[in-house]
Amino acid sequence: MAPIIQIQNVTKEFKVLNRREGLKGSLKDLFSRDYKIVRAVDHVSMSIEQGEIVGYLGPNGAGKSTTIKMMTGVLEPSSGEILVNGNVPYKNRAKNAQEIGVVFGQRTQLWWALPLVESLKLLKDIYQISDKDYDEMLSLYRSLVDIEELLHKPVRQMSLGQRTLSDILAAFLHNPKIVFLDEPTIGLDVSMKAKIRTLIHALNQKKKTTVILTTHDMGDVDALCQRIVIIDKGKMLYDNDIEHLKRFFGSYRTLKLRLSGSRDELVEQIQKEIPECSVSSDEEWISVLVDEEKAKVMDVLSRLQQHHKIRDMKLEEISTEDVIKKIYEEGTA
Amino acid sequence: MNLKKYTTLTRAGIMESLQFRLSSLVIVVGNLLYLIVVYFLWKAIYASAGTEVVNGMTFYDTLIYLVLATALFGFMEMYVVWDIGRSIQSGKIVLDLLKPMEYRKYMFWSYSGSFVTQFFFTFLPTFLVVAAVTKGTISFGFNLLFFVLAVAMAVSINYSIDFIVATICLYTESIWGINIMKQVIVLLLSGATIPLAFFPEPLHTIVSYLPFQSIYHTPLMLLLDGNPQPKDVVTALCTQLFWVIVMTVISKLFWKVSLRQITVNGG
Amino acid sequence: MKRKGLRFYLRIYRKILAQDLKSKMSYRADFIISTVGMIFTNIAGFISFWILFRNFPSINGWNYYEILFLYGFSLISLTPVQCLFDNNWSLRMYVYSGDFIKYCFRPINLFFYFQSEVFDVKGLGQLAFGIGTLVFAWCKLGLGFSVLMLLKVIIFLITASLVMIALQNAAAASCFWIQNSFYILDFVTKFKDYARYPITIFSPVFRFIFTFLMPIAFIAYYPSLVILRPDAVPVLTWLSPLLGCGFFWLSYKLWMFGALKYSGTGS
Repeated sequence: MAPIIQIQNVTKEFKVLNRREGLKGSLKDLFSRDYKIVRAVDHVSMSIEQGEIVGYLGPNGAGKSTTIKMMTGVLEPSSGEILVNGNVPYKNRAKNAQEIGVVFGQRTQLWWALPLVESLKLLKDIYQISDKDYDEMLSLYRSLVDIEELLHKPVRQMSLGQRTLSDILAAFLHNPKIVFLDEPTIGLDVSMKAKIRTLIHALNQKKKTTVILTTHDMGDVDALCQRIVIIDKGKMLYDNDIEHLKRFFGSYRTLKLRLSGSRDELVEQIQKEIPECSVSSDEEWISVLVDEEKAKVMDVLSRLQQHHKIRDMKLEEISTEDVIKKIYEEGTA
Repeated sequence: MNLKKYTTLTRAGIMESLQFRLSSLVIVVGNLLYLIVVYFLWKAIYASAGTEVVNGMTFYDTLIYLVLATALFGFMEMYVVWDIGRSIQSGKIVLDLLKPMEYRKYMFWSYSGSFVTQFFFTFLPTFLVVAAVTKGTISFGFNLLFFVLAVAMAVSINYSIDFIVATICLYTESIWGINIMKQVIVLLLSGATIPLAFFPEPLHTIVSYLPFQSIYHTPLMLLLDGNPQPKDVVTALCTQLFWVIVMTVISKLFWKVSLRQITVNGG
Repeated sequence: MKRKGLRFYLRIYRKILAQDLKSKMSYRADFIISTVGMIFTNIAGFISFWILFRNFPSINGWNYYEILFLYGFSLISLTPVQCLFDNNWSLRMYVYSGDFIKYCFRPINLFFYFQSEVFDVKGLGQLAFGIGTLVFAWCKLGLGFSVLMLLKVIIFLITASLVMIALQNAAAASCFWIQNSFYILDFVTKFKDYARYPITIFSPVFRFIFTFLMPIAFIAYYPSLVILRPDAVPVLTWLSPLLGCGFFWLSYKLWMFGALKYSGTGS
């Protein structure tokens, strides 16, 4: 079977106005303007299979949203080709829209003043969903989340979490082949995040929906994604499954220590003592990131013990978050 | 008084409004077109009337009056009601109230920037064009000074009225409805749409007891009068001053009382 | 995918409309105040009109009741744009904040989906006011009545509405290119007030502008000629239904072009 999304060598450029500074600058801008070209997405290629959940990651301004807008047909790529479900999205936006669902984190697409159930009914008509499919979907929703309290509440009275949940339900309603979720858990509390992750996972399993997820929350990635794609400054840095990524960085472990003495001075001192590791600190711990190919954790520990009194310690495997941070810092993996 | 913190707001406002290059152009072109429409309309009206002077106003008087009233409107309409209404609805008002400045003042000085740009982009070109087109109907004497003084007071009265109306938004969520009512009343009763001289008698008397005429009618009449009688000028300016004080006091008190209400309700 | 014809869109519109009305009722105070505001606007417009014609019995050979006819006609023809296309006023805000993107993900016509979201009930008051004025003027002028005349009036009212809708669409669409497009929309809205005067008062250059470039003459003047001056109807009037459709189509294309070109605000 052909992949559901195929992106080949896609680039998107924007013209951005250079604003001058100060009052004089504003006056100058009034009469002459100075543009520069910004490449938001730079020769990106990937292909995604039906039913995958792909985490699409990158720092702010990396080009994630631009890529998603191109896949949904809102933006036309400057060059390169995109095929979504066999369609060229921007050439046939409406047809493409029938097969996709979109949730943009904090922007609801529901009718603000209407109770959720009325929004769903309108969507049923807009997407021309049959009564049977609609009822089935609703009973599936009932089995997954407690929607009764949401159904009759106007969207404007919902909490952010309830609204996001509603938006996700609305996005899956017409059983689309692909759902794009742009930071769905942003600003939510821990229990709501868990609820939303469970819901997305279940819908992906039950309906074999392809999910493209952008997020800054590694909890989302750990809970949902088998595969991640990382992009920064428009360029693709990584595209592979998450296990591979961890294996790649598997030789890294973090040694966390609590020592007596001033923390800032200690960090500096330790860095000098073991130059092959990177040392940092937070409120509680001093962290030493050890690359086991260069130095063994036990060696590092015994070397430290010669100079310092260790009050407490623990050893951590590298987290997804650390891995991603390393990729951002080092560029291509 | 530390004036710098106010002028900083003015400066920021000027910069912000200059960012919109095309909109400045639209304002200028729009006003010119509008001027042309007014010109032809009244020309036709006077031509059909068959007399030179109607209700003590010649065609040029009426033209200058209406065109400058429009220019003044562009200059004084600051959308205060919209902005305050929106920030009340969105709750942003709480942040503004925390600023180390009285809210009424804070809003006024925030608007003062667009004030300055509006003056140069709308009012001044319009004034010059009108002065040129009407070939010396506007005399350049003391009347200009009186006009500037009267406009300054008109701005104050207009702002107070806007602020009173904006305060009503603390009680109701209908910004549009309240704003449109205010606009309609102010424009009609201040003589901005039709010179007050054309108003029939009972209406004319009623209007002369209201604060609105001080906003458009008074400054424009002072400007048009090339040979001002000291007594008339003093009466006009004193009436304005009276309304400046009364409206400022009312708007301040109303805001204070209303705000207390809101705090009590925990709004 | 099933084909989405006119029936599909009508059904969707009806459903959205019903929901919208239901939710409007939940903001009752706003609804009442806005309606009162709208009535105020109409009454004030009427008062200015009345004051003006107390002083001047005719303009350019058009008497009081004929001008009143134009006035009523323009009020009615401005109703659809008020009721059905009011969301154009919010377009700028959606584009500025980036929220406009939410309209791009539905498998239906973007323009339709956007406009369907708001139905402004207040416009109906204006409709009633306009019909009243038109009927009153019609009777006073002793125009008589026939089904053919009624048919003509209806067709030309639709034509006039299309022209106004086209103007507003084009003005609203400017926000896709210009940041602060409020002025343009406001400008067009203000201009429509001048649509109610006979175009013959203008010089030939402006007659041309108001006929072809900013076609406000089609809002009341050209269509009304069919009833008021049946012996001297220019070809343009008979062509106006076609032109109305043409203007509307052009503005729709412009709107859609802007919307699709619009690239969000990055993030």
